[in-house]
Amino acid sequence: MNSKLLNIKAITLLALSLGLMTACSNDDDNGGNTNPDPEPTTSRWITVAAAKMGEDPGDGNGGTLLYSVSSEDAKDPNVSIEAFDNGFIAPSNRTARLQSSEDGNTIFNISYAGDTGGNYTKYTVEGGQNFTPTGSQVSIAPYVGTAPRWIKLFDGDKTGAAVYVSTEHEIDDNDTPNDTSDDTYLRTDAKMGIVTLDLENSLIKEFQEHNIMLSPEEEAQGYYIGRIDMPVLNAAGNKLYIGADVRKVDTETLERERDYEMLGSKTIVLDYPSLTNPEVITSTVGYGKTNGYRSINAFEYNGSVYQANQNDPEGSHILKIDADNEYDDAYDFNLDEALGVEGAYILAWRPAANGKAVLAYRHDGSAEGLAGAQGFFALVDLNAKTAQKITAIPYDPNFYLFQYQGFVVDGTEIYVTQAPVGQNGNIYVIETETGEVTKGAELINVQGSHFIGTF
Amino acid sequence: MQLKLFILLFLSLANGSFAYSQGYQNTISGKVLDHLDQPILGATVSIDNNLQATLTDKNGIYILKNIPKGKHIVKISYMGYATIFKEIKFTKTRTKKLTLDITLEEDIKSLSQVVVQGKTEKAKIETSGFAVNVVKTKEASLRNIQTNELLNTTVGVKIRQNGGLGSNVEYSLNGLSGSAVRIFIDGIPIATYGSSFSLNSIPPSMIKNIEVYKGVVPGYLTDDALGGAINIVLHKGAKNNLNASVSYGSFNTFQASLNGLYRFKKSGFTVKASAFHNYSDNDYKVSGRSIVVTGLGGVQTPITARRFNDAYRSTGGMAQIGFTNVKWADQFLVGFTGSDDYKEVQHGAFMTIMPYKGRFLESDALLANLIYQKKDLFTEGLDISVNGTYGKRNRMVNDTVAWAYSWNGERAIDFRGNEYQYTWGSQQEGGPTLAKIKRNVASIRTGVSYAINNNHKFLVNHVYTGIDREDSDELRSVLENTFVGTRDLHKNIYALSYELTAFKNKLRVSLFGKHYQQKTINIDPVIGEDSNGNKVIVDEVLSSNNNYDGYGFASSYAITPEITLLASAEKAIRLPNETEVFGNDGDNVVANPSIKPEQSDNYNLGFRFGRYTIQKHGFTVSTNIFTRNIKDKIGLPIETSLNIDDELIVYVNQGGGTSKGIDAQFNYTYNKNFGLNFNVSRFELKIKNNGIEIEAPNTPFFTMNGNLRYSFKDLIQKNSRLNLFYTMYFTDEFSYLPPQGKNTVGDEFFKVPQQLSQDIGISYAFPNKKLVASIDIKNIFDEPIYDNLSVQKPGRAFYVKLNYSINKF
Repeated sequence: MNSKLLNIKAITLLALSLGLMTACSNDDDNGGNTNPDPEPTTSRWITVAAAKMGEDPGDGNGGTLLYSVSSEDAKDPNVSIEAFDNGFIAPSNRTARLQSSEDGNTIFNISYAGDTGGNYTKYTVEGGQNFTPTGSQVSIAPYVGTAPRWIKLFDGDKTGAAVYVSTEHEIDDNDTPNDTSDDTYLRTDAKMGIVTLDLENSLIKEFQEHNIMLSPEEEAQGYYIGRIDMPVLNAAGNKLYIGADVRKVDTETLERERDYEMLGSKTIVLDYPSLTNPEVITSTVGYGKTNGYRSINAFEYNGSVYQANQNDPEGSHILKIDADNEYDDAYDFNLDEALGVEGAYILAWRPAANGKAVLAYRHDGSAEGLAGAQGFFALVDLNAKTAQKITAIPYDPNFYLFQYQGFVVDGTEIYVTQAPVGQNGNIYVIETETGEVTKGAELINVQGSHFIGTF
Repeated sequence: MQLKLFILLFLSLANGSFAYSQGYQNTISGKVLDHLDQPILGATVSIDNNLQATLTDKNGIYILKNIPKGKHIVKISYMGYATIFKEIKFTKTRTKKLTLDITLEEDIKSLSQVVVQGKTEKAKIETSGFAVNVVKTKEASLRNIQTNELLNTTVGVKIRQNGGLGSNVEYSLNGLSGSAVRIFIDGIPIATYGSSFSLNSIPPSMIKNIEVYKGVVPGYLTDDALGGAINIVLHKGAKNNLNASVSYGSFNTFQASLNGLYRFKKSGFTVKASAFHNYSDNDYKVSGRSIVVTGLGGVQTPITARRFNDAYRSTGGMAQIGFTNVKWADQFLVGFTGSDDYKEVQHGAFMTIMPYKGRFLESDALLANLIYQKKDLFTEGLDISVNGTYGKRNRMVNDTVAWAYSWNGERAIDFRGNEYQYTWGSQQEGGPTLAKIKRNVASIRTGVSYAINNNHKFLVNHVYTGIDREDSDELRSVLENTFVGTRDLHKNIYALSYELTAFKNKLRVSLFGKHYQQKTINIDPVIGEDSNGNKVIVDEVLSSNNNYDGYGFASSYAITPEITLLASAEKAIRLPNETEVFGNDGDNVVANPSIKPEQSDNYNLGFRFGRYTIQKHGFTVSTNIFTRNIKDKIGLPIETSLNIDDELIVYVNQGGGTSKGIDAQFNYTYNKNFGLNFNVSRFELKIKNNGIEIEAPNTPFFTMNGNLRYSFKDLIQKNSRLNLFYTMYFTDEFSYLPPQGKNTVGDEFFKVPQQLSQDIGISYAFPNKKLVASIDIKNIFDEPIYDNLSVQKPGRAFYVKLNYSINKF
């Protein structure tokens, strides 16, 4: 019943938005189409992403489903969205890694793992389960593997970037290859690959490889960059920042250490668009990794890049990289302090153009639910360095945000999804200026599954 | 609990079996052998048109008691062999014991009975009550059929294979797969032999038959088999024979095998040898969404490609000397098994746009073996058998080519048009490797059985399996290799079985208990200090010793001679392996010494109707309904924000599952020259984690197999025989993803479509009966056959084979 109702709604909406249109833009593939893409002026598509349970509740590996509604419907608590029953299944063996155009009319997907891992596809959003593939097929797998970490750069939906790193321990065997007693550890080499993808024309733009070095002192102690992710452009558009996870090896046994002293948060800086000249910059404020997980971890705002860190022994920080491409160590924004919790851990976040952001986090006091620690949303002010838990959104021990991927920013409003694993929830819309929270459309869940955001 | 009740019930029935006795004291007993002097299991021996009947046991022994005085006709019959009638006579007064040993000759007409069905299996099931299929290899060995293909046509068995000949195989029995299914060669766990001596390489001609036990495994196959066991029974026997075969076909596939045995009649001294060689380029054509050539900018062009890095070669053999059928031993043989294989790897678990070039696996094994078997040792009814294997096996992974290759077999170009190397420096992501695993393996199986009388028998079995494992990688520094741990695994499994035959052989029950003991040892070199305070490398030894018990029963009851009810159940377990106990440094999984074994309560209930004969028509129908209830399934917890950074992941007992389904088989013969077999298997597999149950994805849950055979006699030459064969394999559509909602779109991306593959074959036995030639065409309609989402298997293929055998010299 509900699904039919929703389809009717989707069709009505489509008709409505066609009527509202003041201009038509034809995508490159539908030149002869008499039914052009809707481009509502007052409304935009809100695509809800749902992650179906694979073998374990909350693992999100049983299919990534997409369903689009208008922003009006997204804000309407009387609308219910049954993405698991009526959605479009994004082609990806494990949870798809999604991005959307700034206007919400296009969804970009890179398939994660399996036979098509690394394949880039894009879809025109047409409401409901209607996602029309556009453009030709291209894969970034030859450059960064079949399980790529990729991000859309904020350059007007032109470019995507993905990275890969592999490491190798370098040993001096003192010219006695069979005698280990005089062998000494030199350093661990981190070889990175970075590829940029032309999102508009579905072509590979650029690819470069680099050997990333830390300082000789750090390397001698066994520190190396073990994972990288989350490329972001600086305001000038001439440098690309890549988040990093610094690991440490026991220099005597070459086994990875578990409890070691964390170094200051690091970021790799490259020339853009040439992807050359790698340098590593280090913060003296934060000590966690900066490579995020599945959601964009760093954003440009007001000429600087703001970057979240994770697993910081003092709790997550939001760090600032200034226009000079160095960390601004005068900017100290600690989430433990701002939220008044211990062990704050930023899982995902997204600022609006006003410097106010919605941030998903967990902390040491989070309950442990079906899929790890309970998550919360906070409203953050990057200028005032304040963070406030959003209490108008209900929380449940089985509500987790670790796999959270998407926030829609529409002006000063930010759209989020909230539903504990296996339970129904809602879209919530946060007006970042006032902090006002609107409870939106109901999200109908199925067992073991959850929602991973809006696009 | 339920299982215990069953056992109590059967124990009480056992008491009742003592009650029956008769007035006549005459007894006839003996041994039934085949033309190679191998004992026949399950041959029917009856008196006076089924006044009394019995089946021979696994030693070919039968005994019929309480026979009235006078003349009687003894009838000895077995599928595939000519029935023999003998007249016997018991005189008036004296109690007498007659011995009648029979050698059955093969019946040419019914020889071509290829597969599972027929009296062979019927007999076995009726003897034991287990849900078991006995796969006869005789006909397959004359044709161009691989051992794995033969198993795949067996009801309830599904083979998942990642490509052509020699590629990685996983076996599924009634929905349970992976380490839930244990494979044995003559009762020795196949882990002892490694991949070079496996179902991929051993030709059917070396194998006498294959026993497939589903869910409930008898005591003599002692291992932690959660979902069932496959036992490959190699040829035994003591009659001179020699057979050789060569086969050639599509994809440059060449296979040869040689088996021979010579026994000196006087001394019983026996020499036995087998050898095999397999080679295939496996360069079959593939196409599909990932078979593309990438051009400038990454633009993709779909092509139909030939696989170019998939060759397989295996060579191996077995040589034994000793004594057979002498006073002190039925079999005493010592010898060696050696094998070696090479397998190129075209792709990983999936076919992606990046085919591998230059990645290959090698393995070899050299093992000494010893077999001792004696029936009626010291006293009548006491049988002993010992089978031991000791040796080394090695496995190597070679992946050092960094250049990217394209599906056209040439170097791939990057978006700029230049040939390029992968960032990870190897074909498979993860970096170049020359990893080598060395294992010292030992396995010894001992069985002692004592038959108190015709009704009661006790069996004790023990298997010890030990594996010492050492890993190294030449591409890593010696220093790194120094700190790689070693893993030792020692398993002792004991089984005690009691077999009961009662109510004039109508009821057969086997009760068994199993005790599992597993010791795993992890030796991890660490830096320590000696007494002078100098740093030295010391071994940190962690060990875990666990004991578990399991039990079960199998029973059969003949309601009428044509209707048999079969029931079996087992509380089965799978012991955690060394990685699950100790974790894996490379994957950042740490030890969980308190991990419990996986458990499953397995039940089978079967009926068997037949064999009914109406004039020249004969048919049999059998079916088995099964359930498997798995608890404490071992797995890794999902990645969460809590474990992603601290890397403290441990294997845990986190879930369970159920598999429920039905297997059915139908067998029809007409006038001994037409045969039809059909089987169907359907099940529902559910997995349960954290209290939530879902249908298991990526599981072919509905399969059907059928085959037809028609035999012409004297068609071309007198005394020749021509057989025509047809086989079909059907697998229903299944999805890589769990079932989706009712109105979703995009599901087709994850579907493995319905598959129907059909083979035809012809074989011709020349009048001298020494030479058999056969031609087989597989997948005649060139249908695309897939596994694991997109892994494509060979299309139409042609094979020719010549067999030569001498049975008397």
